[in-house]
Amino acid sequence: MQFKSQAVAKPYFIAAIGLFVGQILFGLIMGYQYVVGDFLFPYIPFNVARMVHTNLLIVWILFGFMGAAYYLIPEEAETELYSPKLAMIMFWIFLVAGVLTIVGYLAVPYATLAHMTGNDILATMGREFLEQPLPTKVGIVIVALAFLFNISMTVLKGRKTSISLVLLMGLWGLAIFFLFSFYNPSNLVLDKYFWWWTVHLWVEGVWELILGAMLAFVLIKITGVDREVIEKWLYIIIAMTLITGIIGTGHHYFWIGTPEYWQWFGSVFSALEPIPFFMMTVFAFNMVNRRRREHPNKAATLWALGTGVMSFLGAGVWGFMHTLAPVNFYTHGTQITAAHGHMAFYGAYVMVNLTMISYAMPLLRGRSANSGPSQVMEMWAFWLMTVSIVFITLFLTAAGILQIWLQRMGSNPMSFMEAQDQVMLFYWLREITGFVFLIGLVLYIWSFFYKNSEAQAAA
Amino acid sequence: MAIWFFIFAELLAFGIFFVAYAFARAHNVVLFNESQQHLNITSGAINTLVLITSSYFMVRAVAAIKQNLSRECARWIAAAIGFGGIFLVIKLFEFHAKFADGITLSTNTFYMFYLSLTIFHFMHVILGMVILMAVMLKARSGGYSAENHTGVETGASYWHMVDLLWIILFPLVYVIH
Amino acid sequence: MDKPHFIRPCTYIWLALMLLTVTTYSIGEAGLGGLTVMLIVIGTAAIKVQLMANYFMGLRRTRWLWRGIVLGWLLLVTGLITIAYLSTIK
Repeated sequence: MQFKSQAVAKPYFIAAIGLFVGQILFGLIMGYQYVVGDFLFPYIPFNVARMVHTNLLIVWILFGFMGAAYYLIPEEAETELYSPKLAMIMFWIFLVAGVLTIVGYLAVPYATLAHMTGNDILATMGREFLEQPLPTKVGIVIVALAFLFNISMTVLKGRKTSISLVLLMGLWGLAIFFLFSFYNPSNLVLDKYFWWWTVHLWVEGVWELILGAMLAFVLIKITGVDREVIEKWLYIIIAMTLITGIIGTGHHYFWIGTPEYWQWFGSVFSALEPIPFFMMTVFAFNMVNRRRREHPNKAATLWALGTGVMSFLGAGVWGFMHTLAPVNFYTHGTQITAAHGHMAFYGAYVMVNLTMISYAMPLLRGRSANSGPSQVMEMWAFWLMTVSIVFITLFLTAAGILQIWLQRMGSNPMSFMEAQDQVMLFYWLREITGFVFLIGLVLYIWSFFYKNSEAQAAA
Repeated sequence: MAIWFFIFAELLAFGIFFVAYAFARAHNVVLFNESQQHLNITSGAINTLVLITSSYFMVRAVAAIKQNLSRECARWIAAAIGFGGIFLVIKLFEFHAKFADGITLSTNTFYMFYLSLTIFHFMHVILGMVILMAVMLKARSGGYSAENHTGVETGASYWHMVDLLWIILFPLVYVIH
Repeated sequence: MDKPHFIRPCTYIWLALMLLTVTTYSIGEAGLGGLTVMLIVIGTAAIKVQLMANYFMGLRRTRWLWRGIVLGWLLLVTGLITIAYLSTIK
């Protein structure tokens, strides 16, 4: 750690991992409800568990991004953070707002929550991923603005590098696209149209910029490859991302009442979306192969390489699988989507955060890397989580293919619930694999506390 | 060097669109042939000549900088940009005529392709001109030399690609039936 | 310093490209159609792309790999366009 104010990243990382654990627990509850429908009924209905699972995912990734920015920006700008105090105030506001929102979801029925929090004044609730009550949404905007102000001021007064500029661009985009969550036209088609602009333009647009910047930062640090080389790659990846991602989002407009040309635009451009992810993989491996130093943090290197591969598989390959309009006609809204969602989120945004935490957390705690045994444990965590996600994805893909076959093809298709009964086996396998994932996550957390005392003494 | 990844990706995107056009046409020959007759082949052909000439100017710009002639290089680039501007003006007249007839992306599949391909290409011409403008300014202030002129070549390569795409687009959409 | 040796060939190429464009234009204006005409027009376009890439873009003087990628792209795209066209002729 080169600058004192980088320390504000630490609580953000801890909160991120804490919420990650919560997300996984609710994932397991939901996964069990897939096979035993009345599990925990009426206390935690399926729709509430799902809402908590997805909202926690987004909130903890945002915590991770913010922590990463607070760690990365001072080091890139070569100056202390503009206001560490503001960063800490925002941390507590964001955490309290997040926790209260989750408690709200769990404690009262959703309709009551909507009524209590002023949804009658400005109706924004009730849409997937954007279920947050109005005060939470306003809070997110305030926190995001204060955060952006803080890091933008830091960059302005310090050194301006491509990495921090790309990161800033991504984070500003993130905040701007969130504003669409306040727009809720009564026309259902229009509503859907703009709804896709929040979370989905995040994941296939601006978040990729954040991902690219974070990965480039960690790669510079652990490989010692010239900044110029890494920046050149970063620029091309970013250009490709924006060209393919923004119009490629048209693959969400296929069957929702938008003009037919979206089927062409969406298919063609999204077919190219794997390219930037593929380049990210090549980039990561290339840089590690050309490394000019042996960084003691081997685990972080593994995570960085894993991010490249898994984001390409999850977002690129599994996305391409059902992105062409004629294929999507059969696959939309089935377990194929769920399979893609799990691997893409894990491979891209979960893993890049874990990479960053794996790299930065030891430094924040005053050592260049965790001890050998602790890194071995962390690598076990890497493999357990990654292999579990691969299997979860494969089981869900199998469930999806069977579901499409039974429910959407043939002359005598089954009803939705009948088809669900037929794919039950895959849901069981998915749930069991989910527990393996949880073990991996526990190991990941444990590795930060395991046999590190001597490493600390050495540092 | 890096620009080539970008160029290949662009070629790929347009390539998919060209092939999609061809197969969409195969499903709808009558509609495509009928709608195609309303296109203005003359303006399409003039635009081809304009772009090819503009590309040739960029060849001369690269040649000039290889002889260390910064000012001459900048003048050739300015000529290339000027011809890019002529292309845009002619294209705007063409679009205006189509929009005046009430044609939109949703009119039919042919016009969907015609409009999206040409508008998409149109935006590439604009982007190319912006790139060339930056290169020209740097050349004018003596930023390039016979030893160091990667920027001029990069701009030229991108500009040639924009031309190259039009060379396929024009016969495919305006002529072949 | 001498003028680079590639100017003169490129001037000829420019002339050739202009002439080929006029040919395509005449075919279009005459409203000609059918398989032979289609093959001529798409073939002309392919030749023009090759001239452009090899001389103007200077691929002739660089690595064969890049030249190969452009040529492969061209053959694939024009090939598929031709197949699509053929499929309409019964």
